[in-house]
Amino acid sequence: MKKYYPLTAAQKLHYNWIRRYKTQQVSGVSVVASLKAPLDFGLLKKCIQLEFERYGCLRVRFTRPDEKGEIRQYIAESDSRDIPLKDLSAMSMAEADGLMQQWAYETFDGDDIPLCDVTMVKLPEGYHGFFIHMDHRLIDSCGLVVMINDLMQLYAHYRFQSPYPEDLADYETVLEKDLKRAGSGKRFARDKKFWDAQLEELGEPLYSDIQGPSVLEEARKRHGKASLRAADIELENLFVAVKDYELEPEPTKNLMDFCMNHQLSMTNLLLLGLRTYLSKVNKGQEDITIENFISRRSTHQEWTSGGSRTIMFPCRTVIAPETEFLAAAYEIQNVQNRIYMHSNYDPELIWEEMRRRYHTPEHTTYESCYLTYQPMPVQVNNPHLQGIAQHAKWFANGAATKKMYLTVSHTARGGMNFSYHYQTAHLCEHDMELLYYYMMRILFKGIAEPDRSIGEIMALV
Amino acid sequence: MTREEQFKEIVAQYCKVLPEDMTENTRFREDLGFSSLDFMSFLGELEDTFDVELEEEEVLQVLTLGEALALLERMEA
Repeated sequence: MKKYYPLTAAQKLHYNWIRRYKTQQVSGVSVVASLKAPLDFGLLKKCIQLEFERYGCLRVRFTRPDEKGEIRQYIAESDSRDIPLKDLSAMSMAEADGLMQQWAYETFDGDDIPLCDVTMVKLPEGYHGFFIHMDHRLIDSCGLVVMINDLMQLYAHYRFQSPYPEDLADYETVLEKDLKRAGSGKRFARDKKFWDAQLEELGEPLYSDIQGPSVLEEARKRHGKASLRAADIELENLFVAVKDYELEPEPTKNLMDFCMNHQLSMTNLLLLGLRTYLSKVNKGQEDITIENFISRRSTHQEWTSGGSRTIMFPCRTVIAPETEFLAAAYEIQNVQNRIYMHSNYDPELIWEEMRRRYHTPEHTTYESCYLTYQPMPVQVNNPHLQGIAQHAKWFANGAATKKMYLTVSHTARGGMNFSYHYQTAHLCEHDMELLYYYMMRILFKGIAEPDRSIGEIMALV
Repeated sequence: MTREEQFKEIVAQYCKVLPEDMTENTRFREDLGFSSLDFMSFLGELEDTFDVELEEEEVLQVLTLGEALALLERMEA
């Protein structure tokens, strides 16, 4: 018999966005993975169909919303769909990317329907592969990378007789464990105590915008409240543009070496770079909050069960300008470590608590920037396919719930890609240029002189 | 199953090292490859499994399996 489950906190995050912004587009995730080699598309189709059997999250569906708007999830027993093949080989790569970008804008509308599309593609320049378009409630980017590798391992097994891939963890088993843990009264009480204590210690957060203090000032005027500490969220024009910058392998290595030598995680170094920029453009504001995405995958089961395990929490730090760069990095790391321990909590409850305490107006926020650090590149790791050029690309869903969302990932050639997704209603490419330029100046000044104070670094860059 | 065996079984879910190859000097980060997130998630699981509340200040000092087990024993006492 089919079992129905509530959504996890990570799934609720996306569902709440869908409800707030009234479009499923905000929950779309798309990627193309391809190899510069001829592929047996008949075999690839069979492998994709087999992947639908192996990777339970691909078969997750949601019920019609009840009278309160709540939905439940279930796993369809099978999905024996045909997998289409599209030939884009006559286009330029830019044109093909442009077409796939249009596919990424498409929405999954309806209840009890599949929320995953896979299309095999013949791309220009001899690349062949597949395009995946899904709802984020089914999978996150780590889950997609695992899926792409599993799929190619299946292909290599049937094509080259390489070993059959290991079984993936059962989505339903991991879901049940997550829901059980989230439902634990003691766990919930511990997590709530942690998040409430942060508000008790630091009080109401203070908004900081990429464009400086004028944004908060305007919100204060609009709401007629000079003490307002939150700014308005864009609800009408959600269109997002993307600007990518690639950091070369050598400077990337310098950042990584700094992290390794000081036992820092890259996420925390990036958070420091971003928060220092926000502080700089907001007249040295010390209290800065950035929403940081965490992919809650630690155990083998969590890594291979698919599903949406990415969840965001506010990383709030109050750092005085005389704090040394390295000390500030450790301060952030300390905060983040504590957050990790309490990352089972539903972030919506943090927001509810702030609304209750501070009467924060509806449709306002304390954060303008969101960060994801993605340590896994979309790269097929298979010995039978080594040495073959690959083309992989993530596509924006075209509708941003966030003013600026930065995804930092590693490139196949050893560099790092800084992908800035920004709402065009308020920001332009020049804002991203400034942000990237100063972020890099801050980071490289800081790692070169880690004993220098944050205030000095802000003044020097 | 003893507490130590149960403890090692949980550790094994987070890495590719078998419980029988773990010693009290095994380090979470350097030997088992735990990230900060892995480590803190692991501690959360310890709390749920052994029904204890670990002191955050103390857990941040833990480097080895032996230290984590000793902390767990102190919390249970």
